Amino acid sequence: MKWFPVSLKRSRSNRKMPEFAELTPEHRAELESIVGKENVSSTQEDLDKHAIDESPLDPHPPTLVVKPGSTSEVSRVLKLANENMIPVTPQGSRTGLSGASHPIHAGIALSLERMNRIIEIDEDNLMAVMEPGVLISDAHEAIAKHGLYYPPDPGQESGSVGGNISTNAGGMRAMKYGVTRDFINGLEVVLASGEVIEMGGKNIKDSTGYSLIDLIIGSEGTLGVVTKATLRLIPQFKYTALIYAPFKSTIDAANTVREIVRQKIMPFGLEYMTQHTVLTVEKYLERKLPDNSHPAYLIVAVEANTKEELERQLETAGEICLDMGAVDAYIADTAQRQNQIWEARKAVFDAYLAMYTLDEADICIPRSKIPEYVERAEAIGEKYGVLLAPVGHAGDGNLHYNIIKLDETPEEEWPELMESALSDLIDMSHEMGGTASGEHGLGYTKRHYLVREVGSTQVELMKGIKAVFDPKGILNPSKVWV
Amino acid sequence: MSEGLKIIVPIKQVPETTEVEFDEETGTLKREGVAAIINPFDEFAIEEGLRLKEKHGGEVNVLTMGPPWAADALRDAIAMGADKGWLVTDRAFAGADTWATSLTLAKSIEKMDGYDLIICGLKTTDGDTGQTGPEMAEHLNIPHVCYVNEIIDVKDGKVVLKRNLDDGVETLEAPLPLLITVGKDINQPRLATLRGRIKAKKAEIKEITNSDLQLDPKEIGLEGSFTRVVKIFEPEQHEAGEVVEGTVEELVDAIYQKLQECKVI
Repeated sequence: MKWFPVSLKRSRSNRKMPEFAELTPEHRAELESIVGKENVSSTQEDLDKHAIDESPLDPHPPTLVVKPGSTSEVSRVLKLANENMIPVTPQGSRTGLSGASHPIHAGIALSLERMNRIIEIDEDNLMAVMEPGVLISDAHEAIAKHGLYYPPDPGQESGSVGGNISTNAGGMRAMKYGVTRDFINGLEVVLASGEVIEMGGKNIKDSTGYSLIDLIIGSEGTLGVVTKATLRLIPQFKYTALIYAPFKSTIDAANTVREIVRQKIMPFGLEYMTQHTVLTVEKYLERKLPDNSHPAYLIVAVEANTKEELERQLETAGEICLDMGAVDAYIADTAQRQNQIWEARKAVFDAYLAMYTLDEADICIPRSKIPEYVERAEAIGEKYGVLLAPVGHAGDGNLHYNIIKLDETPEEEWPELMESALSDLIDMSHEMGGTASGEHGLGYTKRHYLVREVGSTQVELMKGIKAVFDPKGILNPSKVWV
Repeated sequence: MSEGLKIIVPIKQVPETTEVEFDEETGTLKREGVAAIINPFDEFAIEEGLRLKEKHGGEVNVLTMGPPWAADALRDAIAMGADKGWLVTDRAFAGADTWATSLTLAKSIEKMDGYDLIICGLKTTDGDTGQTGPEMAEHLNIPHVCYVNEIIDVKDGKVVLKRNLDDGVETLEAPLPLLITVGKDINQPRLATLRGRIKAKKAEIKEITNSDLQLDPKEIGLEGSFTRVVKIFEPEQHEAGEVVEGTVEELVDAIYQKLQECKVI
């Protein structure tokens, strides 16, 4: 069965939604008394800023931007909203890629940006406690000062801890370490009613009752507002290095991923790029990568506590690359050289966003299927006349297909072509046992794909859970499913 | 130059981090436990040497003075594509300042296989003097040019090169043999390859000790040094200032507000 293209529905509001109330001057006065006058705004600048994320979705300005500074302020704001049927859209740093932080029904944009304190880095329990507005880059930096590491490492380092929790973000190190869900040990959450609950903490093991914490992680702000998080940390490795390997064909590179895993090497990062991506990022950053003249590239990053072990991993992984058809294997072993390559990899999405009209698919498949997926995806690009530039966390099977508008494509045809290509990419992922979203979430722009993936029984279970957490449906309405 | 250019690149191993601890008593850096890398400026020198070799033929020899483990820096350079590594090592050389170091290196270079061009990094990230290169040229009695950021051509025993100075760009012609120091604008150094590293691991490193050089102990090491580090300290860290942009009115308001915040007015 062919589904109705999402693009045609994107601008319409959902008719099954409850009747929301408009914010009145009295509401505003009350909100100002809770968070302070200076933290409630309806200036055009603020409304514009809080109307978007990094998805191609048209803006949805809120009526008011409210910036609480503490858990109790969040609680009082939600209580007011809940009692008055005002929709609330929680926002981190709005770097999401599927419209989850768009205030679709206007109302309150609840920006957690002021709640950006790192409360504690506990070296005895290997945990860090922080507020949701802390940026991932700041969290990593503070934690690194203690010789520790929080492994989830999404490309978008200006994303917030709260946003990462809401989407269950993954990133570059998921192959070895897993995703955000694997490293969140405790949460403080404000429910729609305003009630504050704490789940988990610093215990490594916990078998009491249902894991509500796992429901909150990845719920994209639809079940509650995270106001504090306890992150699990690991000791940093002493040495890291990476291989930058150009390949003569995309299939050779894809097959190499499988071979590296077969040879029982566990890199902490295994990234795939094509030449189009390398050239785009070189242009964006105005500097060169070690090679830009081959169709496909792998970055293989390893870590160890001794130089000998690091060298062994580098040589084994490097030999595999060369055996599998890499034309060379460049090695970056100083911090500076590694950073240059990671910076380039992490700038990929920003580079594409700056230079093209695009959307990004976020499929994740069992990694053994990568070669087949990469090969068959080319036909999808040709079918719809779009340029597909895959960039992937190949090691964990999470491939981001940038779906790029060709210059000759008329503007009016683009949304449908883009959505059709996205739809086919997701179908192919499902066919191979994969998922529609590995780490970005479904938010608003990809919510139509949920039922296709999990079926109506599971969607109904999710709706039931939502009704228990947020009976009036004020929290981030019209997200995750249709 | 039918056989190509003979290039020597003197390099130094430096601590990787910028947050090095000092031993305040001896005035030296505590290098234990800190990863050692090729001085980043020397990587530009190596890269320029390799590019010249690719264009004109010849060979690139790398040279370093230091303890036995400084050979790692030479192997890293060989992994990038350098041909041979020479390690100047002897307890008698320890504690040298730039004068004693440049003398020892110059005498070592005379023991190597000859040279047309010596390329040095502008300075090191640990010592930061920028003196060792030019001093070497003086000891060798050859001309030198510092701050080079482009080598335009090498032919007929001459090099044409460009350097940026504070008040303009200078294009110079200099005869070989010549010593130059290069800055970070000259190129983007290549990464070593796996094949290069495997080759480097097996490469023979030639050692030069004072029994080869026969230098008077008074001329080398700590004793041969005219300068002493009397005090070493971390410079005070200044926080970056705030940059405010806008119209004159906005800026006046911003400054007024800041002064009020600071309770100056």
